[in-house]
Amino acid sequence: MKKLTRKEFLTLAGVTAGAASGVLKLASKAQAAVKENELQQVKSETIFSTCQMCGGQSGIMCRVVDGKLVKIDPNPYNPNNFSNISTDFFANVEKEGTCICPKGNAGIATLYDKDRLQKPLRRTNPKKGRGVDPGWKEISWKEAYAEIVKRLKALRDNGEAHKLLSFSEDSSFMDLQDDFYKLYGTPNFYFHSNLCDVSRKASFKMVIGHDRPLIGAVYTKYILFFGWNPLSATKWSHLPRIITRGIENGAKMVVVDPYFSYTANKAQEWIPIRPGTDGAMALAMAHVIIKNGLQDKVFIEEWTVGFDKFAEYVMDKSPAWAEEITSVPAETIERIAIEFATTKPQVVDVWSGPGHHSNGVQGGRAIALLAALVGGYDRHGTLIIPDKKGGKHIDVTPDDAAKASLKNERFDGKSSYPFAHSSGVYTEVFTRLAEGKGPYKPKIAMVIFQNPMMAVSGTKTVEKGFQNLEFVVVNDIFLSETALMADIVIPGTTYLERYDISSHWVTWPVVALRQPVVKPLFGQPTEYEFITEIARRLGLKEGDGKDIFWTGRMSGKRAEDKTKWYEEYISKELKEGAPKMTLEEMKKLPGAVWVDKKGTRYEKYKSELPAEKVADAIIEGDKIFSKKSDGTKDKLIGIMKGKKAVQGFSTPSGKVEFYNADFAKKKDAWGKPVDPLPVYEPRDWQPDASYPLYLINWKEASHTHTRTQNNSYLMELKPDNPLMVNVDTAKKLGIGKGDSVWVESIHGKVMAKVKLTEGIHPEVVGLQHGFGHWALGSRAKGSGFSDSILRPTRSEPLSGQAMNKQCCVKVYKA
Amino acid sequence: MADKNTFSRKDFLKITAAAGAALAVSNLPKPVLAAPVKTKPKHRYAMVIDLARCIGCEACTVSCKVEHNVPVASPKEIANRIQWTEVYFKEKGKYPDVKIDLNPRPCMHCENPPCVPVCPVKATYNDKDRGLVLQHHESCKGYGYCIAACPYGARYFNWSEPDYGGRLREQALNPDPHPQVKKRHKGIVEKCTFCVERLDRLEARAEKEGRPISDKELHLVCACVNTCMGRARHFGDLNDPDSTVSKLARSARAFRMQEELGTEPKVIYLRETANKA
Repeated sequence: MKKLTRKEFLTLAGVTAGAASGVLKLASKAQAAVKENELQQVKSETIFSTCQMCGGQSGIMCRVVDGKLVKIDPNPYNPNNFSNISTDFFANVEKEGTCICPKGNAGIATLYDKDRLQKPLRRTNPKKGRGVDPGWKEISWKEAYAEIVKRLKALRDNGEAHKLLSFSEDSSFMDLQDDFYKLYGTPNFYFHSNLCDVSRKASFKMVIGHDRPLIGAVYTKYILFFGWNPLSATKWSHLPRIITRGIENGAKMVVVDPYFSYTANKAQEWIPIRPGTDGAMALAMAHVIIKNGLQDKVFIEEWTVGFDKFAEYVMDKSPAWAEEITSVPAETIERIAIEFATTKPQVVDVWSGPGHHSNGVQGGRAIALLAALVGGYDRHGTLIIPDKKGGKHIDVTPDDAAKASLKNERFDGKSSYPFAHSSGVYTEVFTRLAEGKGPYKPKIAMVIFQNPMMAVSGTKTVEKGFQNLEFVVVNDIFLSETALMADIVIPGTTYLERYDISSHWVTWPVVALRQPVVKPLFGQPTEYEFITEIARRLGLKEGDGKDIFWTGRMSGKRAEDKTKWYEEYISKELKEGAPKMTLEEMKKLPGAVWVDKKGTRYEKYKSELPAEKVADAIIEGDKIFSKKSDGTKDKLIGIMKGKKAVQGFSTPSGKVEFYNADFAKKKDAWGKPVDPLPVYEPRDWQPDASYPLYLINWKEASHTHTRTQNNSYLMELKPDNPLMVNVDTAKKLGIGKGDSVWVESIHGKVMAKVKLTEGIHPEVVGLQHGFGHWALGSRAKGSGFSDSILRPTRSEPLSGQAMNKQCCVKVYKA
Repeated sequence: MADKNTFSRKDFLKITAAAGAALAVSNLPKPVLAAPVKTKPKHRYAMVIDLARCIGCEACTVSCKVEHNVPVASPKEIANRIQWTEVYFKEKGKYPDVKIDLNPRPCMHCENPPCVPVCPVKATYNDKDRGLVLQHHESCKGYGYCIAACPYGARYFNWSEPDYGGRLREQALNPDPHPQVKKRHKGIVEKCTFCVERLDRLEARAEKEGRPISDKELHLVCACVNTCMGRARHFGDLNDPDSTVSKLARSARAFRMQEELGTEPKVIYLRETANKA
């Protein structure tokens, strides 16, 4: 044994004195050096980016070795992975660390999926349809571009630019696509939101003028969710922490849902409910709250309009009335209403479960008004209206040809939906295409990072829609069900191979960079490079001749290299936007994420307008309007509260609206006037003797819609989607565990395997959405089942929300 | 050495010292904190899993698999899938009073591991200095006695050559040459190692710098701990009474799985608060 020198002894003594903190073993320096060598970690590069396994954009920290991605870890600097409230983030992130969901971890398998498309393909069989062999022929990029550009040029030269339809996902390279379609001259730039949550957007927009308030869960004392499953259908990876922490800090959580979701599993109470009836329960709760005088009278008096009319409307909406509709016991409704109103602060929310029915918008509005009743907006521990800022999209001006064709009506009939979202109405597009209806006949579709053949209900209609187009281009990483309907298929990139600006859905401004972690694996262009190349070949320019697809936005010089050109494009957006820095500067930030030091702000409706703004405004009554350049009235920017000019809410009245008479002037897509009040109407498809069961679907942590069923890790977690059936219901139907059954609606039938559970309403059966692929890849094909054919291709009439959960079926042994 | 029938002053002092130490760091002499008296490990690495925070997302399962090059099961072989940390799901109750118990289960790294003595070729061993139960993969002959012996189901057999889903994925495996990360092969057993390869490096670095490892550093060792969405998992040294795991182990909610078997598992669970209305 080597004799210790005095120095070594003292070092050890010092260490030993700190024995309480865990001392390491005695070892000579020589031993330490040998061990270090043996365990030499392979040198790796760390690249920060954002995930896109779902639309949540969680921050990721990627470990790259020799140009290969070997591990995805949480980005320790990104609030999106930790908390949506700034004080919570700044105080706790360092000691607790951030997270990443199972899909985020599994991203490596999607990047390196052996079934990924590598080369452009052209269809040789003109016949298109499910089960039809397209007769794919690999073609060169040269040929692919030539064909696509030829078609698009001919359409545009013929004054028919508006007959180009585009479908894309809403969190990727949106601004560039927006520029492209605008300068090309088509108003038909659609994205997926109307398959998702536009009904919630409409509900909240009607009430508070903002379409996406966020739950301040970590500091709340009561959480009431209608049909939301944030602990499984997670999207924002901070949600599980803020919700479980809220509960840990004493909050009671109540989940109203036909299915015992993993969120219901963490709640103190699960309240099973009939699908599409949540609005009735909310109105009955409002009835109880008002009857007992438990509403926030001060908030209602100062910051809302229309309360009296609302109170009158709910006067006969008793818990007994609601019990009949919802199957929730009247005493439960009464008790929850009182608990909710008297436990402060409280937060209530609704998402896409109740939203995907014909009464989803008014139902969600009734729920949004519960928050209004208790003053639950923009206050600590309630629904917070986010300060969301991102990159600045620099406007482009189309040339005369494009201006002319942009004047054409949108093909998706969006104007018929009074509370529609800019993403459009997918169901209308496909219905019109299939039936040959609409203001004109579209000819070409560009589908980038979308799979409508799987994602839109009523597959036959979608199929017919694609069949009725002359030319379809699909850009995807897999040969998806929609790619099978294409004339040309273009291999795309995963989020790990490209850039984006991710503006986060937390309550204060946070912007993160998505940057390439590896080069595109097959030398393929990223989607924005693909679009830019087409734009260049088409010679698309702004109205004043500016060659924006060639000129670098920062340098003002011609940028041949499309990657460099796009880097300048986003650098400009970052510089002009909230971060106020270039792309290179963004890359150097910790975690490549810009976090505004000025954190979450509360009660923004009370904040005073700057004096200059008021001086330059038009004031009518208590309303403050900004001026247009010609001096006429523009937008409502605030309201007068006594002598103070304050921000208020972004509604027509500047206040939270229980009632809006002007709604009655609008007609919904089915020709009915919109009710000024959140009236309850049963959804327009009810169970009957022939089809007695409600069929619903939902998402779980294991998969993202129809996107991830080829991912090896995720398919190992969840290889299929059984039909969940209540134990008693199954008994009555003579169905046992693992039985194959037919699930049949008036539109068709599919086969499914049964799983029994006590955790679902006895009148309801349901499944995880996304399975039932007949393409996509070797792992996805044939796994589980899809219920898409059991529903028509149809939207909720106010918002255009695809009604993905409205279905009635019968179930019987196969 | 005292005869077992006599009780010397020395023995008495030994026992009271141990008990005193235990009492000094806890309200009650909880077995989880007192190391089995015979062993005097330098470290007692342990994990705490808060079941109130676990939401059953299985991010831990996937993160661990990617970190350690654990093979992926094909759809036909799902029943044999290898999950070093596996979440057990159990539905309980009758409609509408339903509950799903979620139990993330890594290896327990027992202080009295039943899997170690049964291995005919001593491929699995107890790293007593740190409280880790590890494998010499090159010695394993796949007899499987250890799998049978483990009451927690923590051990897995490679029924086939490791599959990672194709060559594209395989060329991007974790290239760490550490024996516990290197690709395994058909016919051998594998399980959770408490991310020993990361722990080894942390210790080496700390030794080189002549300082102890901090509780905070230990928290960053395990892939499953790092990725957890509920922040339900913690890792650290039970020998440090101020470590997070030691503090949580003293919680009234703390329990261990199948304690009655005497395995002395070092994964401590915090039960969900009984908060149902």
